Amino acid sequence: MLHIKPILSSLLRSKSGPLLLLIQIILSVAIVANASFIIHERLALMSRDSGIAEEEILSFNVYNFDPSMDMAQQNKQDQQILRALPGVISASSTNMLPLSGGGWMDRLVDGPDVETAKSTPGFAFYLGNEQMVDTLGVKIVEGRNFFAEEIRSSPAESGILALVSKPLAQAFWGEESPVGKIMYQGTDQQVEIIGVIEQLQGAWVDHRNFEYSVIANVDWGGQGANSSYMVRAGAAALPGLKDSIIAALHRENPNRVIDNFKTIAEHRASSYRDHELMVTILSMMVVLLLLITSLGLAGMVMFNIERRTKQIGTRRALGARKRDIMSYFLVENYLICLAGGILGALLAVLLGQQLMKFYSLPKLELIYPLLTLAGLLLVTTMAVFFPARKAADISPALATRSV
Amino acid sequence: MLSMRNISKVFKTDLVETHALRDFNLEVNEGEFVAVTGPSGSGKTTFLNIAGMLEGFTHGEYLLDGVDVSNLSDNKSAAVRNEKIGFIFQGFNLIPDLNLAENVEVPLRYRGIKAAERRRRVEQALEQVGLGARMKHLPTQLSGGQQQRVAIARALAGEPRFLLADEPTGNLDSLMARQVMELLEKINQAGTTIVMVTHDPELARRAQRNIQIVDGQVCDFAASGLGQQQGLRQDQELTPLADLAADFAAKAKASA
Ligand SMILES: Nc1ncnc2c1ncn2[C@@H]1O[C@H](COP(=O)(O)OP(=O)(O)OP(=O)(O)O)[C@@H](O)[C@H]1O
Ligand SMILES: [Mg+2]
Repeated sequence: MLHIKPILSSLLRSKSGPLLLLIQIILSVAIVANASFIIHERLALMSRDSGIAEEEILSFNVYNFDPSMDMAQQNKQDQQILRALPGVISASSTNMLPLSGGGWMDRLVDGPDVETAKSTPGFAFYLGNEQMVDTLGVKIVEGRNFFAEEIRSSPAESGILALVSKPLAQAFWGEESPVGKIMYQGTDQQVEIIGVIEQLQGAWVDHRNFEYSVIANVDWGGQGANSSYMVRAGAAALPGLKDSIIAALHRENPNRVIDNFKTIAEHRASSYRDHELMVTILSMMVVLLLLITSLGLAGMVMFNIERRTKQIGTRRALGARKRDIMSYFLVENYLICLAGGILGALLAVLLGQQLMKFYSLPKLELIYPLLTLAGLLLVTTMAVFFPARKAADISPALATRSV
Repeated sequence: MLSMRNISKVFKTDLVETHALRDFNLEVNEGEFVAVTGPSGSGKTTFLNIAGMLEGFTHGEYLLDGVDVSNLSDNKSAAVRNEKIGFIFQGFNLIPDLNLAENVEVPLRYRGIKAAERRRRVEQALEQVGLGARMKHLPTQLSGGQQQRVAIARALAGEPRFLLADEPTGNLDSLMARQVMELLEKINQAGTTIVMVTHDPELARRAQRNIQIVDGQVCDFAASGLGQQQGLRQDQELTPLADLAADFAAKAKASA
C-alpha cells in the first residue's frame, strides 16, 4: 500500500519547502547529466591510442653553438652514438614530436594542376629516416618502410616518399589503396606514397585531424642550431638514459646544450592537462551537487519529521505500522525526486542543445540524463531511509502526549 | 470488553521514577459509556493510552475483547488499534495538509479497504457528524467543534467497537462540547463502547458510569465494577465524601 494520492495532494498543498527542493533537483540533474557527459567525452578523448610507444620514447633537444660545426654531419654522427647506447632500440632525429602541441602541418594534392587538383585534409607532417617507424613504434600495415639509401636531407629534394596513417588514407582514398599513388606538394614536387601506418597521431590533441599523419623520408637534422631527437629504449634502460645520452653526446662534442628531456608519455600528459583539469573540476562538481542534493533531502525529511511528530503519532494510533510511516516519507521524496528528475532530464537535454550550439560540444547522449536520474533515486533512498526509519520509531503515545 | 488487572506503569527518566498507574484495576463492559475524571497528572491519559495500546505497561494484565494484548508485536498492535479501537483526541489531531475526506480515510487506507468502499464509508461517517457537504474542506477552514466532529467521523469510519476519547471537549466551548457529547451518546446508543476522559463534571454525569483516577488508581468504589478486588480498603467504601477528599489530599502530599 503506497497511498500515493493523499501524499501527493498533501505535497501539493504544502508551501515552498518541496518546491525549493524540486528546483534544486531540477538544476542538479540538468547540470550533473551534462557534466557527466562532458567528463565521459573528455575521458574518451584522453584515452585515445596514439599508435606510438609513448612510454618508451625519450625526446630531447640539442643546441649547437659552434658556428664552424658541420651540423648535418654532426647530426648523423649523433644518431649513430644514440643508437649505440646500451638498451636503446632505435633513435631518430625529427622535425616534430608527437602529442607535444607543436609541429608541422601540411597538405598534398593529387595532381600538378592547381585548378583541378584535389587536396588531402591537413595532416601532421613528420620528417625522418628509415629508423623513424621503429623509433615511434608504429606499425606498417600495407606497403613498406623507407630503405636507408632512399633518405633525403630536405623535403624539397626529388625522390620524396611518404608513409600515410590509415585514418588519413581512408579519409582521402576511401577503400582504395594509396600505395603507389603520386601526390604533389605545390605544383612540381612529387611525393610517392609507399606505405600505410595503422595509427599515428599528430601533435595537437584538440585538432580534428589529430589522426591524420604522414612521415616523409627526410633526415631532418642539422638544419639549424637546434635538433630534436627521439630515442626509444626498453623499460630497464629508460631511468639512466638521460644521463648516458648527455655523457655520450658531450664526449663527442662538449660545446653544446642538451636538454628538454621528456618522454612522449609526458608530452601527452601535458597536452591533456586542460582536459584533465576539466574532468577533475566537473567530477568534483558532480559529487558536490549530489551531496548537496542529498543533504537538502535529508534536511527536509528531518525537518518534516520534526514538524509532523504529532501527525506521525496520530497515524500510528490510527493503525499505521512502522513500515507505513517509512514508506510515507520514501514515497513523498520519491515523488519530489521523480518530478525533479524528469524535469531535470528535460532541462539537461535543452542545456545540452545550447552547449552543442555555442561550445561545439557533441550531442548529449540520452543515457546520461537517465543515469543521473537513477543516481538521484539512489541518493534519495540513502538520504531518506535513515531519517524515515527514525520517524517510524516515533511512539503512537505521542498522539495524546505531544503538543 | 476491557479488563485491566493490577496494571502499573512507571516512567523512568534520569532523575525520577514516576508511578503513573499503580495496581490499576478496571472492567468495562460491552456497550458501556464510561467517563473518567481525576486531577491533573493522576494518570488518566496514561490509562487511556494503555487501553488504546498506544503504549505498554510495566506490570499487570490487560485483556481486550478477551484477548491478552500485552505481548503483541508492533504490527499486530497497529492492526488491533486500526480495527477495534477509535481514538478522539483533545487537540483533534487532524492532518492539516489533508482535506476532510482524506483525513477520515486515513485509518481505512491502513486497513487496506478498497477505494469504492472507502468512499462510501467516508461519506457515511461525515454525513453522520453533519459535515457531509464539506468533504473537500481543509481542517483549518473549520471551527473547533467541527474539527472534533471530523475526528469523530474518522474514528467512526473504521466501525470500531471501542471508542477512546481523551478530553474530547477540552478545547471546545460549552455549546460545542454539548454537541460533541450528544454525538458520542448517539454513537454509544448504536452499540459502541466508549471510555471518555473529561474534566467537565457535567458531561461526566451524563455517562452511564463514572470513574475517578487519583494518584494512578481507580478510586471511586461504586464505579469501578470490580468492588473489593481493586485494592481499596474495605472501610473506605463507607467513608463520607469529605473524609475521602482529605484522604486524597494527604495521599497527594505524600506522593509529591
Ligand atoms: N513520557 C513520560 N515520561 C515521564 N513521565 C510521564 C510521561 N508521561 C506522563 N508522565 C507522568 O505520568 C503521570 C500521569 O500523567 P498523565 O498524562 O496520565 O496524567 P493525566 O491524568 O492525563 O493529566 P492531565 O489531566 O493533566 O491530562 C504524570 O505525573 C506525568 O508527569
Ligand atoms: Mg491527560
